[in-house]
Amino acid sequence: MVVAMLQEDNGTSSVASSPLQVFSTMSLTRPALLSSPSSPFKDLKPEERGLYLIHLLLTCANHVASGSLQNANAALEQLSLLSSPDGDTMQRVAAYFTEALANRILKSWPGLHKALNATQRKTSNVSEEVHVRRLFFDMFPILKVSYLLTNRAILEAMEGEKMVHVIDLDASEPAQWLALIQDFNSRPEGPPHLRITCVHRHKEVLDQMAHRLTEEAEKLDIPFQFNPVVSSLESLNIDQLRVKTGEALAVSSVLQLHNFLASDDDILRKNGCSLSGDSASSLPLPSSVRVDRFLNAMWGLSPKIMVVTEQDSDHNGSTLMERLLESLYTYAALFDCLEAKVPRTCQDRIKVEKMFFGEEIKNIIACEGSERRERHEKLEKWSQRIDLAGFGNVPLSYFAMLQARRLLQGYGFDGYMIKEESGCAVICWQDRPLYSVSAWRCRK
Amino acid sequence: MAASSSSAASFFGVRQDEQSHLLPPNSSAAVPPPPPPPHHRPPQPQQPLEAPPQKKKRNQPRTPNSDAEVIALSPKTLMATNRFICEVCNKGFQREQNLQLHRRGHNLPWKLKQKSTKEVKRKVYLCPEPSCVHHDPSRALGDLTGIKKHYYRKHGEKKWKCEKCSKRYAVQSDWKAHSKTCGTKEYRCDCGTLFSRRDSFITHRAFCDALAQESARHPTSLTSLPSHHFPYGQNTNNSNNNTSSMILGLPHIGNPQNLDHQSGDVLRLGSGGGGGGGASRSSSDLIAANASGYFMQEQNPSFHDQQDHHQHQQQGFLAASNNIKPSPMNFQQSLMQFSNDNHNSPSSNLFNLSFLSGNNGIASGTSNPNAAAVPSGNHMISNHFGGENAVGGSGGGSTGLFPNNLMSSAGRINSGAVPSLYSSSMQNPNSASHMSATALLQKAAQMGSSTSSSNNNTNNASSILRSFGSGMYGENESNLHDLMNSFSNPGATGNSANGVDSQFGTYGGVNKGLSADKQNMTRDFLGVGQIVRSMSGSAGFQQQQQQQHGNGGRERVGSSSDSADRNSMNVNPGGGGSTSSPPYGIHHASF
Repeated sequence: MVVAMLQEDNGTSSVASSPLQVFSTMSLTRPALLSSPSSPFKDLKPEERGLYLIHLLLTCANHVASGSLQNANAALEQLSLLSSPDGDTMQRVAAYFTEALANRILKSWPGLHKALNATQRKTSNVSEEVHVRRLFFDMFPILKVSYLLTNRAILEAMEGEKMVHVIDLDASEPAQWLALIQDFNSRPEGPPHLRITCVHRHKEVLDQMAHRLTEEAEKLDIPFQFNPVVSSLESLNIDQLRVKTGEALAVSSVLQLHNFLASDDDILRKNGCSLSGDSASSLPLPSSVRVDRFLNAMWGLSPKIMVVTEQDSDHNGSTLMERLLESLYTYAALFDCLEAKVPRTCQDRIKVEKMFFGEEIKNIIACEGSERRERHEKLEKWSQRIDLAGFGNVPLSYFAMLQARRLLQGYGFDGYMIKEESGCAVICWQDRPLYSVSAWRCRK
Repeated sequence: MAASSSSAASFFGVRQDEQSHLLPPNSSAAVPPPPPPPHHRPPQPQQPLEAPPQKKKRNQPRTPNSDAEVIALSPKTLMATNRFICEVCNKGFQREQNLQLHRRGHNLPWKLKQKSTKEVKRKVYLCPEPSCVHHDPSRALGDLTGIKKHYYRKHGEKKWKCEKCSKRYAVQSDWKAHSKTCGTKEYRCDCGTLFSRRDSFITHRAFCDALAQESARHPTSLTSLPSHHFPYGQNTNNSNNNTSSMILGLPHIGNPQNLDHQSGDVLRLGSGGGGGGGASRSSSDLIAANASGYFMQEQNPSFHDQQDHHQHQQQGFLAASNNIKPSPMNFQQSLMQFSNDNHNSPSSNLFNLSFLSGNNGIASGTSNPNAAAVPSGNHMISNHFGGENAVGGSGGGSTGLFPNNLMSSAGRINSGAVPSLYSSSMQNPNSASHMSATALLQKAAQMGSSTSSSNNNTNNASSILRSFGSGMYGENESNLHDLMNSFSNPGATGNSANGVDSQFGTYGGVNKGLSADKQNMTRDFLGVGQIVRSMSGSAGFQQQQQQQHGNGGRERVGSSSDSADRNSMNVNPGGGGSTSSPPYGIHHASF
């Protein structure tokens, strides 16, 4: 290919232009070329610019990883010039990765980093947070599919049950439970006594949830109880869930479990284990104390069904480079999803990109240790972990998968698809796995 | 982990021990937990568990897996009432304490139990009915009264009948509670109907609501949908109708309303394909899916990116030009679109549509119902593809490209071909500007890989890309090798449509094979290794291929008929009143 480029350059075609050549031949110790003020980038075609951005990002990450900040700085300068949060997809993706890389550098000077963020409010606005989550729900079919599959699994597991208790570990979206209440109401044997326990850090969110759910349950006249638990998942006291004897228990966890992987690094380091290179190999699963403890606690409640939705990507690599490459693919795909659906100028889209994905990217790239919470891992790893905690996989029913696919098609979410992977569902954009949904029950 | 799981296991062990310890005596004879008054009951084997019926708060929250004692009582014990009989007046009491208090009246010696100071071990009670969920120790009930009432209610005779509404109850207190309110409550539906009984009211509401929702839902779109109103429920209801038509083999695509929308949409985009759009899909399983997706998009203009439209037009344009001036490049481009994945995107769908309508307009227009309804429709599709190759004259040419491109690792012809492909796309400024980030990454990876093989002047970054790229590239190559063998002859010798067609036929066996192969070829040609890479290794690729073949095969069909059965069973007939909304309905036909 490169031969071709060179050849074409020498020849007649002017289409395959220099930046591609630059891409392949440029050595990183040539900042002169990078910072040439004449800025040939203006004439770059989007595709060439995209490729160049990728190249710059990788180059920059290499420098950041090796600590050569001069070079990293040069690359960042170019990146800032070319990327843009309201440009084309690659420009947008690059913008957030650029910011994240810069953040990472900045973190090596904690004083500087803190000083720069001194006026930033530590606690983000709750309503803003909810709003962004809402936008993610609206713009992507992912949560919809997740909720649908979760609810289906719960309904199927609770067939014939009269006392049902559902625990929602990520209580930010009432839609899921409104749908479940309706589904329960229309099941042939009549609705059960339903209790929903929601865990969330903010009381306001839970109040809102309580209001909506009780309203719906009253409208349908089904026996319903709401149990709000104001707590972060990490500091959750299992007794607060108030699981009673005799009731059939369901647990729903949406994009939560990976948080428990954070700070395992610290523990492992204390124990003298090395993490390096372990992240790719699967067999000696890096034991993560906190997630195991949590899963065991869940197991102790002996839920009839536990449905887990997680990001299906490997963003928990130990090196920056691994994480950058993996997350670059993931977020490129996610941004492509938006590109196919939402106009570029849409403010909500920019909001989702910045406040939802941008924050994730920043966390993956810039943070380490217990600060790095977005430790997305692949389905197989989760399966191993959950399996080891005493759960057995419950294959999602054909009917559930059918409904999920219908949902994608019904809403015109083309380009998405759902793959079945040993009884679990993997939601993909084109062929890129993005999120996974799996159901589990206590093994006896 | 090991520690925790072992502790878990040991815990279970303990519990099972308890069970086995407790169950035999109980199952052999009815043993009430408290020792009965010795003079009344026949002597029963004294059981080890001491269970004075202390007053307990009901439904205390407690974790089921706490180390509670699991107690299994026989039905007889559970049903027994007034087990504590006064020897003087034969009056029975439910609790021993009450009997003791009663004995005071007869001036008999009596003794009230003192509340024990030490912590009483928690007890949970099993339901003796084996089919009951509470028969399982993990679902035992927390108190004796609870298990008794449960047993009466669920497994006992309903002896108490309400005189007003003739509803029956097994527990007297339930009946009492009901009698107090029976007839006093009235349920009024929004539609004005009055009900005296809650259950009949709810039944009515289910229908009444369904009607209201149905009429309200037609104009809704995703964005205007109230956030709290996420309609899975209706979704399930709709499946009724879908199911029935699925079983009948009636495609919803035949719904005139859908067709209208579809063709309207298509026309607007300037490709003039008519309703036959779906027919050009590679697998009938996806035909309706796409159509529905399209239809839905039409309904949600706010979510429908204008750029998207623009892109479609571009595709249509490309396709048109393809017809006029067939060139391998354009053909490849079209395949690239096509190969995006199984679930085709509307753009490629549209593209195919216009492409085909140019070639065999009538055929594609008419084949739609066939394709959707009967398997023979597939045959027509494959014919289209054959025709496509022939008319485009590019089938042979493109296959001819592959050996060059992929067999020679650093050949000049190879590398010359690829960029010219890209450059041809770049000549069209708009289509070039829409290269997705994913595609860019894939391209970068591929470039990294070819850089490594042909150019030593690499840097760190691209070498990382290369390490990504090379793996998948190799994979592709080996895979392609086989393909190539089957293709190379006709490709090299001539562009005869028959030749290509039959070659495809022999390779694919199934008509579906054709499109599957094409997809693979295209993928490889573009070096889109990422897709392959994500399919979990080389086996994944094979799988994918099989899957695609299988699309038209028996496996899929079998399972889909399964689902039809399931559907029809699962869905309750109550929802039948609601008519299906097109988006859900359409693709059903094909599943």
